[in-house]
Amino acid sequence: MTISEELARAIIDPKSYSRREIVDAAFAKIRAEQPLDQARLPDFDPFWVVSRHADIKEIERQPDIFHNGDMSTFLSPHDGVERVKALTGGEPNLIRSLVSVDGDEHKALRGVVFPHVTPRAIKPLEDQIRSIAGEFVDHMLSFEGECDFATDVAFLYPLRVIMTVLGVPQEDEPFMLKLTQELFNNADPELNRRRAELTPDEMLKSLWETTMELETYFAAVTEKFRAHPTGQINSLIANATINGEFLNHRQLMGYYIIAATAGHDTTSNTTAGAMWALAERPELLKAMQDNPDRINAFVEESIRWEVPVKHFMRSAVSDCAIGGQQIKAGDWLMLSYQSANRDEAVWADPFDFRIDRDQNPQIAFGYGVHVCLGQHLARMEMRILWEELFKRLKSVEMNGQGERTISNFVCGPKHVPIRFTVN
Amino acid sequence: MDSPGSRKWRCRNCGFIYDEALGLPEAGIAPGTLFEDIPADWYCPDCGSEQDDFELVDY
Repeated sequence: MTISEELARAIIDPKSYSRREIVDAAFAKIRAEQPLDQARLPDFDPFWVVSRHADIKEIERQPDIFHNGDMSTFLSPHDGVERVKALTGGEPNLIRSLVSVDGDEHKALRGVVFPHVTPRAIKPLEDQIRSIAGEFVDHMLSFEGECDFATDVAFLYPLRVIMTVLGVPQEDEPFMLKLTQELFNNADPELNRRRAELTPDEMLKSLWETTMELETYFAAVTEKFRAHPTGQINSLIANATINGEFLNHRQLMGYYIIAATAGHDTTSNTTAGAMWALAERPELLKAMQDNPDRINAFVEESIRWEVPVKHFMRSAVSDCAIGGQQIKAGDWLMLSYQSANRDEAVWADPFDFRIDRDQNPQIAFGYGVHVCLGQHLARMEMRILWEELFKRLKSVEMNGQGERTISNFVCGPKHVPIRFTVN
Repeated sequence: MDSPGSRKWRCRNCGFIYDEALGLPEAGIAPGTLFEDIPADWYCPDCGSEQDDFELVDY
């Protein structure tokens, strides 16, 4: 048996994710009836839909069996993958980053930045990040009671934090934001490079142009930091060596690009989603102000709630059994974090935003050796922003309809209009 | 539940398992080292989480 075409289209259509209730309903049905089953669509290579929390964890803890980089790392139509291979000389991913490599290469690349983003390593950044958070809280309050929290705060604050950590000058932040949005929101006419509805061919062309623009920018970054190394992340990447040699061009560009794009967009989406949740629940702000010790629970629930990375793909390199199904070598699997973070087997009331969850094993950062490199920094910067905001906000409510990005990959709210009062 | 010296501890953030029986020789932690005896500056080798982010695995 396979998942019906209607259901499969619902969970892969970028437009479904702009109306999250469609995706949530489709995945609830899949979890209940076909929690790990195949989708067969004429325009895609067949793929397994992995919807349960436990199955995703089991897959991600076996990176020797389930590879990231042998096939496309995100869901892409068959023709699209073939065109990417033509552009890259045979690789299925346009960008060779940490999420699209495996084994020793992944370990070596991850090791370049990993020691610098552990909780202990980032702790000294707390004061600096709090100062940045304070600036953006002041910026929000300067709107005198109404703003679009997504565009006025959530897109900008994580961007400033990550660019500071990477060593990107503030004047380049608008450029990085624009190209990040082009990269991740290709299906959204409001945010993509052409500002239009695109055909699959146009989407790929536009993605390629964005990638080339980023590569031009980062080529200069390499020159700068090799000439004058610093302790900033881009300098570590520029000067990193594996077996005595600098990273090759694709490794280098992939590293810069993932750090400079996923390093803020995911946190922005989560932050915007958390404000949306707050603004729809008048009791939540008060609950947080009365219980400041729940701040980490609030952040963790925000991450579970928003799930900024909707899926990643894996491919099996050998036959194995997962979730009662026989997976064959060469099979392609869609790991839906969106679904896993709503798994009724793990959470009571998964469709409620709750700060009283003592255990919240949300899986939005992934699991296993590919777990998000920046997870601790993301948690810290969100905690600090909310600590600063909760001190100042008296009330908040939606001021119109929020809007979500049209995308099935890295995405979230693009507009969160709010009305607020301050203490 | 396993007894001290043969327990397993799992990182909540990434699922890495510290197996007391095996230790982590590559990190200088000898086989048989109890979780509570691991040096305080050790953190999860896969994700960087601190020791208080580990939970005892109860098979």
